Amino acid sequence: MSIIKVKNLKKSYEYYKKQPGLLSSLKSLFYREKLYAEALKGINLEINEGELIGFLGPNGAGKTTTLKILSGILHPTEGNVSVLDYEPWKREEGYQKQFALVMGQKNQLWWDLPAMESFMLNKEIYGVSDEDFKRSLDELVEVLDIKDILDVQVRKLSLGQRMKCELVAALLHNPKILFLDEPTIGLDVVAQKSIRDFIKKYNETHKTTIILTSHYMEDIKELCKRVVIIDHGKIIYDGQLEELIKQYAPYKLLTITFNSDGVKKEDVAKYGEVNEFEQYKVSIKVYRNQVKNVASEILHSSFPVDDILIDEVEIQEVIRKIFYKK
Amino acid sequence: MKKYWIIITNEIQRQLTYRVNAITYRLGQIIELIALVIIWTIIFKKVDVINGYTQKEMITYVVLGWFAYFFTSNYNLEGFVARDIQLGRLSNFITKPISYLKHITVLAIGRVSIATLTAIVIQFFLIAIFYDRIIISASWTNITVIMFMLILGFFLKLFLSIIVGFLAFWTVEVDGLNYSFNILVKFLSGGYMPLGLISAGVASVSLYFPFAYTYFVPIQLYLGKISLVEGLRGLGIEVLWLVFLYGIIKIAWRFGLKKYESVGI
Repeated sequence: MSIIKVKNLKKSYEYYKKQPGLLSSLKSLFYREKLYAEALKGINLEINEGELIGFLGPNGAGKTTTLKILSGILHPTEGNVSVLDYEPWKREEGYQKQFALVMGQKNQLWWDLPAMESFMLNKEIYGVSDEDFKRSLDELVEVLDIKDILDVQVRKLSLGQRMKCELVAALLHNPKILFLDEPTIGLDVVAQKSIRDFIKKYNETHKTTIILTSHYMEDIKELCKRVVIIDHGKIIYDGQLEELIKQYAPYKLLTITFNSDGVKKEDVAKYGEVNEFEQYKVSIKVYRNQVKNVASEILHSSFPVDDILIDEVEIQEVIRKIFYKK
Repeated sequence: MKKYWIIITNEIQRQLTYRVNAITYRLGQIIELIALVIIWTIIFKKVDVINGYTQKEMITYVVLGWFAYFFTSNYNLEGFVARDIQLGRLSNFITKPISYLKHITVLAIGRVSIATLTAIVIQFFLIAIFYDRIIISASWTNITVIMFMLILGFFLKLFLSIIVGFLAFWTVEVDGLNYSFNILVKFLSGGYMPLGLISAGVASVSLYFPFAYTYFVPIQLYLGKISLVEGLRGLGIEVLWLVFLYGIIKIAWRFGLKKYESVGI
């Protein structure tokens, strides 16, 4: 059953045009040309309970705008949105108690106090009972392994520790929907992974519907079965991640290692587009339906083959291709 | 509501982490007071009375006014509100079941609590130091009215600051405005000199505006230059202004939020 329904959602922003130079700066004191930027150009989306969805897209594509509308921060210019049967921008308490929003670049924790103080405040804001609070807190603290930092000033925490605390603050009221806007931004690889693992586990155990935006393909690959790709305010793909790869990457990557004298580039080029070339290691893009044949052909050829691997193309490359084509 | 109480206690804890900051603020404020005492002492060497103020009255005005000013101060809350808007921190509040207006009001109370406590302590020291140079009044009725006047005065300045802070919905540059706003409020409240010094007319007109109730009027009452009845009427005027400013805040909030929602800031 879909709990988020978005129909023909449009959002445009006003901005002003100004020519460079001092004179036009003075002019603009009296007259400014008003322009409209369309951040969202008619988005349709349905999301089911318990889904973990990834929003992908370049900067300014409309990912954050969509999240801001779904969480009730922004008014749409046009279109219908229903989340848990609420219109988000009406900001009804009944809705607000059922979702949480975490933005990687903003924090809700009190900067100068230990995170625990912010947790206690959220407990009261969301009207969480003592027992529920204790249960949720114990669970989250355990899973995220942050017992030791609860009484340390937030300002003294590392970025990764802070993000963990942000997640706790957001989840204490056990929301049905969680909006995560770039939760791993700026984190090191280890911290990224631990945040990722947590999100995945939380989605599985609590059946919380999670919408995640990220620039890191790793996040999407690890977490989301379904991806929504937004570019220039439009959804250009909505479906399974695997399907996306099949659709946009009609070839697979054949990586062959050689021994003895290795190979020359022109010798392998006839099998497909050469992706990377070294004397002893070559990767070639080969169409899906031909990949088996090509692999066996190479194995049976006179090349000094040591090893051969068949891989899917890196999703990063798929995405780059999609945006490049636009 | 427990959530608002926690905001106050959190903010007090936050202030306590900046103890040195609070103390160094006080230092500057005391220097300012000493400068004023010196100026008026020099002026009164040549004359006995200026527009109805004797030297003793003037020093009393400065010393007790110091307290009135800091008791009603909210230490640049307008800048705080403006940053909430500009940095998008407002989103934290409008996505949660909590009222931003109530939040910022209780936050302001927590924010001034430590400063106000130290101001009270310092005020007692100042009274002790200037004991023979100021007028000591023991009219508890007057002092009670004065305390109410200052408490309402705190909220008057608070509401004004919130309104000025809300301008950040429409313009990015609010720092210059905040600066001038604070100086204007200090002038209109009698913070630089008693408004009666300018003219009796200015003094009586000032009774109808909110500013003077944070400085000039309470000290006038203390000095017995206005009657208790006038003081009580002043409380009524303050309440009317609070209602009026609250209305403005509500309107500015409604329109500002529309802008915030449409632009995203």
